[in-house]
Amino acid sequence: MRRVAMLMVAAPIATLAACGSSSSTGSSDKTAHVLVSITDEGCSPAELTTPAGPTTFDVTNKGAAGVTEFEVLDGTKILGEAENVASGLSGKFTLTLKEGSFVTYCPGGTKNERGVLTVGPGAASPATADSTATAQAAAVAAYRAFVERKTALLTTDSKAFTDAVRSGDVDTSKSMFASARAPYEAIEPVAESFGDLDPLLDAREGDVPADQWTGFHAIEKHLWVDGAITDATKTLATGLDANIATLVALVKTVELEPAQIANGAVELLGEVSSSKITGEEDRYSHTDLSDFEANVEGAYEAYLAVKPIIADRASGLDTELSKRFGDVTDKLKTYKTGRGGTYISYTALTPADTRALADLVDALGVPLSKVAAAVA
Amino acid sequence: MSLSRRRFLTGAGGTAAALAIGAGCSTDSGPAGAAARPGSTTVPFEGEHQAGVTTATQQRLLFVAFDVLPGTQPADLSLLLQTWTTLARRLTQGQTAGNTAPAGGAPPDDNGEALGLGPNSLTMTFGFGRSLFVATDGTDRFGLAAKLPAALQDIPSFGSLDVLDPQRSNGDIGVQICCDDPQVAFHAVHHLARTSKGVLTARWSQLGFGPSSSTSTKQTTPRNLMGFKDGTNNLNGEDRAAMTEAVWVGASDGPAWMTGGTYLVARRIRILLEVWDRASLTDQQTTFGRKKLNGAPLSGSTEFDDLDLDNKDRDGVPTIPLTAHVRLAHPTTSGVKLLRRGYNYADGIDAVTGQLDSGLFFIAFQRNPATQFVELQQQLAHVDALNEYIKHTSSALFAVPPGVAADGWIGRSLFE
Repeated sequence: MRRVAMLMVAAPIATLAACGSSSSTGSSDKTAHVLVSITDEGCSPAELTTPAGPTTFDVTNKGAAGVTEFEVLDGTKILGEAENVASGLSGKFTLTLKEGSFVTYCPGGTKNERGVLTVGPGAASPATADSTATAQAAAVAAYRAFVERKTALLTTDSKAFTDAVRSGDVDTSKSMFASARAPYEAIEPVAESFGDLDPLLDAREGDVPADQWTGFHAIEKHLWVDGAITDATKTLATGLDANIATLVALVKTVELEPAQIANGAVELLGEVSSSKITGEEDRYSHTDLSDFEANVEGAYEAYLAVKPIIADRASGLDTELSKRFGDVTDKLKTYKTGRGGTYISYTALTPADTRALADLVDALGVPLSKVAAAVA
Repeated sequence: MSLSRRRFLTGAGGTAAALAIGAGCSTDSGPAGAAARPGSTTVPFEGEHQAGVTTATQQRLLFVAFDVLPGTQPADLSLLLQTWTTLARRLTQGQTAGNTAPAGGAPPDDNGEALGLGPNSLTMTFGFGRSLFVATDGTDRFGLAAKLPAALQDIPSFGSLDVLDPQRSNGDIGVQICCDDPQVAFHAVHHLARTSKGVLTARWSQLGFGPSSSTSTKQTTPRNLMGFKDGTNNLNGEDRAAMTEAVWVGASDGPAWMTGGTYLVARRIRILLEVWDRASLTDQQTTFGRKKLNGAPLSGSTEFDDLDLDNKDRDGVPTIPLTAHVRLAHPTTSGVKLLRRGYNYADGIDAVTGQLDSGLFFIAFQRNPATQFVELQQQLAHVDALNEYIKHTSSALFAVPPGVAADGWIGRSLFE
């Protein structure tokens, strides 16, 4: 969590109705949906066609044991992906697609490991009047779709975690901790806009008076340091559920602008630089790399949302961002060698590892800081 | 003598190391004709040679070395050097790095920590390490291997005198920042680092709080942390013939891209002050070969008396001992001339011993390190009485390319 108040502003209650109507027409209606299956052969269908614009890929694994991932690549760079989609499960992600040809990738597929995604002209012609407003609205819609997807995931994954805590099962609770908080880390700049909610959910020890300390990290300490679940732990778990429910309701009211989305991405990178790269965030569980990935994913989705605007106005910046995001995610993936495809412990990183990650994050942070001005 | 007074005199001297006062800083020093404000002095950035070599020593040093990140292309490097040239051109002439108050949600290009301070004779001197040309396994990293100067060899070990920390040594690119205000020096390093993200990673840096030698006849000789006047017989930046002979790479030396350049050797020399403080004044003076208070050679009575190396006392013992630092380092003994430009440093407390981690960040400029610094140090390493009180804890060598023309950029002769 951040100690300093956020710049992003939550919508006042009075504008709730107006925001509600804009989000109901804005996010889901303008987003195209593409249905994809993962099979043992790979991506199905192997050839996809869709119009440019915000696009949600609904990915279902139909019985494939060896393939659990669907990616959309621009050349070799990953634009979006659904990971860990095991047999019988589904996942989805949203991209703002530009016209062009892209690669779909289902690693491990026997026949169609790679497919082709052809993106045709968008529904709205670029020549129409007020294309800036259209592009900005599309950026907000795309990011909102991402936030809603993450809050939905947060609701289910954190509930599974708190259920495990309430059942008194320390080992199972520990195994679910990192994934339960990852969706939160991906949308933290939005969550932080609601005043007290971020400290309630994500304060670290010492950030708040000890008798007011709640949230993920309080439970983390019970699990890893005390190694025991008490009634107090279960109370914390139930409190976490309630605060997340509040967050999910509030997120629907947040007003977003492209520059704020871009600044949110910068803040997420700042989180990575200041507390993940140093192992301070998850100081008991050492699951910092999972938070690292979620922060970067959140920043990347924010970038993707505004990418069509940058690509028009500052294509050099867009090219650099695309490369720098790729560098960070490629490097991060090399540490995903723990049990069940999880990240290795922060404590297993060598000084050279953290330095290399820090250099890549810094390299990404500089161009990212220029986005807000480019999309305003 | 006050700082601004001394700078003025240096400028009035009209020498190679002259410091411009006037046009270059007029935007920062108020109405034309007004007296130069403290801190408003500038050193020209452009010229045949880079500034910061023969320039009269400023009061502060901040040296920083960088390594090039994996995956960097030669074009990324030359682009960065062009960006840095623009930055150095601006900062040394008293301008900001860029917009300090941008509209529209962008971060300021210049962070503003040096606003109002003036350029303070800022110089930024850039050099390239051997590792930029060839990796330790011989790999040609950026297509520059064929341009590796023969003189850019690894500095050999000097035996037990060397307790070198590799992480504080060498580097692909080194930048010497000097000026008269520590915050101005920091500002320059901050913006060098900031603009290099994604291409370079900082390797080490060294702060020097005061010069340990003078490079101008207009300057008084400073004292090192052992309390002695150091560099009395140093070369003078104003002595063009000596600079041509000992400092600047000539056209016949090769490679062509280094003509007008020089080689910078840096050695972090920890002074064991706790040991030194227990040595008698007599021992201290025979170690250096000079009198502590006035800096005179033991063979003379005032600081600038020539060393009389043949002088003996009535028992026939040389008044300047055979192991005295000043005798061994003197050109008549060593045959070596260098332009020394070091700074005293203090880096806190040695965590193991609780002693002061302080000493001399030795910097020397020369035409060929093998026949100058290395030759001299090999002579000193075995016999210099000073060795009892010092350890060399880092070592670096950089090829400093020639200066920049009006349309040029740092290292252009290497990359084009």
